[in-house]
Amino acid sequence: MSKIIKNLKQFSTSNDRFEGAHLLCPGCAHSIIVRELLNCTDDNLVIANATGCLEVCTAVYPHTSWDASWIHIGFENAATAASGAEAMYKTLKRKGRLKDPNKPVKFVAFGGDGATYDIGFQFLSGAVERGHDFTYICLDNEVYANTGGQRSSSTPRGASTTTTPAGRVSYGNKKYKKDMVAIMAAHGAPYVAQVAPNKWKDMVKKYQKALATKGPVYINAMSACTTEWKFPADKTIDISDMGTDSLVFPLYEIENGTKLTITYRPKNIVPVRDYLGVQGRFKHLFKKENEHVIEEMQKAVNEKWELLQRREEVGV
Amino acid sequence: MAREVISNGNGLVAKAAVECGCRFFGGYPLTPSSEIAHDTSVLLPQVGGHFIQMEDEIGGISVALGASMSGVKAMTATSGPGISLKSEQIGFSFITEVPLVIVNVMRGGPSTGLPTRVSQADIGQAKHPSHGDFASITLCPGSLEECYTETVRAFNLAEEYMTPVFLLLDETLGHMVGKAVLPDLEEVEKSIVNRKEYTGDPKDYRPYDAAPNTPAVLNPFFKGYHYHITGLHHGPTGFPTEDGKICEYNIERLVGKIKHADDLVEYEEFMLDDAEVCIIAYGSISRGAKEAVVKLRKEGIKAGLFRPTTIWPSPVQKLKEIGEKFDKIMVTELNMGQYLEEIQRVMRRDDFATLHKANGRPIAPVEMVAKVKEMM
Repeated sequence: MSKIIKNLKQFSTSNDRFEGAHLLCPGCAHSIIVRELLNCTDDNLVIANATGCLEVCTAVYPHTSWDASWIHIGFENAATAASGAEAMYKTLKRKGRLKDPNKPVKFVAFGGDGATYDIGFQFLSGAVERGHDFTYICLDNEVYANTGGQRSSSTPRGASTTTTPAGRVSYGNKKYKKDMVAIMAAHGAPYVAQVAPNKWKDMVKKYQKALATKGPVYINAMSACTTEWKFPADKTIDISDMGTDSLVFPLYEIENGTKLTITYRPKNIVPVRDYLGVQGRFKHLFKKENEHVIEEMQKAVNEKWELLQRREEVGV
Repeated sequence: MAREVISNGNGLVAKAAVECGCRFFGGYPLTPSSEIAHDTSVLLPQVGGHFIQMEDEIGGISVALGASMSGVKAMTATSGPGISLKSEQIGFSFITEVPLVIVNVMRGGPSTGLPTRVSQADIGQAKHPSHGDFASITLCPGSLEECYTETVRAFNLAEEYMTPVFLLLDETLGHMVGKAVLPDLEEVEKSIVNRKEYTGDPKDYRPYDAAPNTPAVLNPFFKGYHYHITGLHHGPTGFPTEDGKICEYNIERLVGKIKHADDLVEYEEFMLDDAEVCIIAYGSISRGAKEAVVKLRKEGIKAGLFRPTTIWPSPVQKLKEIGEKFDKIMVTELNMGQYLEEIQRVMRRDDFATLHKANGRPIAPVEMVAKVKEMM
C-alpha cells in the first residue's frame, strides 16, 4: 500500500526514513531525492546502492541514514543486486516461506550517473530486459563527483571536468549528454520518468507511481552538485529551478515505452545561457571563442522540447 | 642538468609517460589513481596525443590495447579493483604480445576495500592477474624520483619484451607531494626503447614467427603489413591454431622471454655492506625502513635495507645471497605477507621477523625499530 498523504501532525511527528545526519556536501540534492522516495511509502524497502557519493556518505560506521534493508555492492551492480534480491523474494513467497507474505516489499536501486550511464549500463539493461519488479533511480549529477569530478557520459557538452578540462586546446566536454530516459523506454520498461528535486510534488507522484508499477522502472533524477557544478551551497533549488525552467531538464514520463506525458511546462522559459551562467563549470563558455557552444546547446534543447511535445501530442 | 619539480607521484607518472613518448591514455577514474588520468588529459593533447576516458575499466584497457596495436605507446591506470576488472584483457595483452603499461596505485582490498588508504596487497595479483600461464613484469618505485624513472623503464620494457608491464604505486606514493629531482629530458630521450619493426616484403611477414624466448615483431597498423591478432593460441601469421606443437612452443616462448631476460631485475641496497640485520621492504614503506635503519645504527645496531624495485620477476639470485649472508632478516610490507611467501620460497627458510599491516595505515619507522630490537 502506498500511503497517499500524511496530515501535518503526522508529518511533524513521524521520523524520516532517511536520516539527515549524513556526510553529503551541504547543498547536495541527493538527500532530497532519496528522502522523498523513502518518505512516500510505508512499504518495506530493500535498497541496493552502487558505489558513489550517496553510498560513501550515508553509511559511515557506526552510523547509517537508512531505515531500510540496504545493500552496498560494486560500482556497476546496483541493478543486479536488486534483481537477485527480488528474484529470491518471489521464490520464497511462492514457496510460502515468508513470515508475513502479505506485507508489501519494494525493491529500489540507487546509482549515480557514472554507475548508471557508464560502468553499470550493461547490468541495468539486463535487469530491465529480464523484467524484475524494481525501481532504479539514477542520481544524475552529470559527473563522477565521488572520485574527483571526472566526466561521465551524462556530462553535458561544454562542461569543464577534471578529465575534460577547458583551456587553450579545448572548451571542455565535447559530447552531448546520453539520453538515458529514451534508452530505458526503448527497453519497453513499463514506466520511466525524469524528476527534479525542486518540483518535489511531481517527484513524489512519480515515485508512488513507480513503486505501484509491476516490473522495472527507471527514474532519472536531476541532482545539482554544488561541488562539481560550482555554485554556492544555498542555491541548489534555484539552480534546479533554472534547470527545469530552461528545459535543459524537461520533466516528463513515458509509459510502456511509448505513451509520453510532459508533467511540467514552465510559464516563463529561461534561456539556457542563464542556466549555464550561474555554474562555474560553464564559466569558460562565455569567452568569445566558445560562445558557439551555448548557441548549439540552446538549439539542442529547443529541438528536444519540440520532439517531446510532438511525441506527447501524437502519443508515440 | 637535472630538473627539480614539485609534484605528487601520480603526476610524475603522467609526466614521465608523456616525456618518454606515450601518446595515448585510455582509462577509467579510480581512486587513488585518478590524478594520472587528470594530468594526462591535460598533457597529452598538448603534444598531439590522445586521452580517452572510457565507460568502464574493461573499456579503459581495451582502447589502450587498440591504440598500442596501431604503433603508439599506450598506458592505462587504475587501482586494484580496476585490475580485477581488466584482468581478461591483461591476459589478452600477454598472449597477443601487444605492449602496454598498466599502472596500479594500490589501495586497501579486497573488493571496494579502503579506497583512500594505502596498501601493498596487489603484489600477488600483479604476478598472476589473469588465468592461464603468465609471466609478469612488475616494477615498484619507492620514491617520487622513481615514480618518474620507473615509468620510463616500464615503457622501455613493454616495448622491448612486447608484453604488459605493471607499475605498482601505492596510495602514499601516488598522493605524496614533494620535490623530485628528475633526469634531464635529453637523457630520458636517449634511453627510450622502441619496438622492433619488420621492414621486408609484406608477403613474407610472419609476426609471431619468433625464435625461442624472443618476442613477436608486431608492425604498427596502417603500414601495409597484414596480420591477425587473436586471444586464441595462434601460429606464425597470427591465425588461430590448436596444433599441439605450436601451442607448446608459443607458451614456452611467452613465459621464457621474461624468465630468461637478464636486464629486468633492479634493486637498491641501503647500508647493507656491513650490516648484521637486513630489512626487506619495497614501495612507500621502504622510505620508513630507511629511517629505521638510520635510527638503529645510531643506537649501535648495524641494520641495512634491501629494496627490490623489480618485484616480478623477483631478484632470485640476490635474495638467495641475502638469505645466506644474514641470520637476522626482517620483512615488512602492507599486506598479510604476499612477498614474504616469495622470500620464503627463494631463501628456503622461514625464520624471519615480520611486520605486516593491512588496515590501510602505513608502518612507522619506530615500529620497525622495535621489531628489529626484538630480534636482537
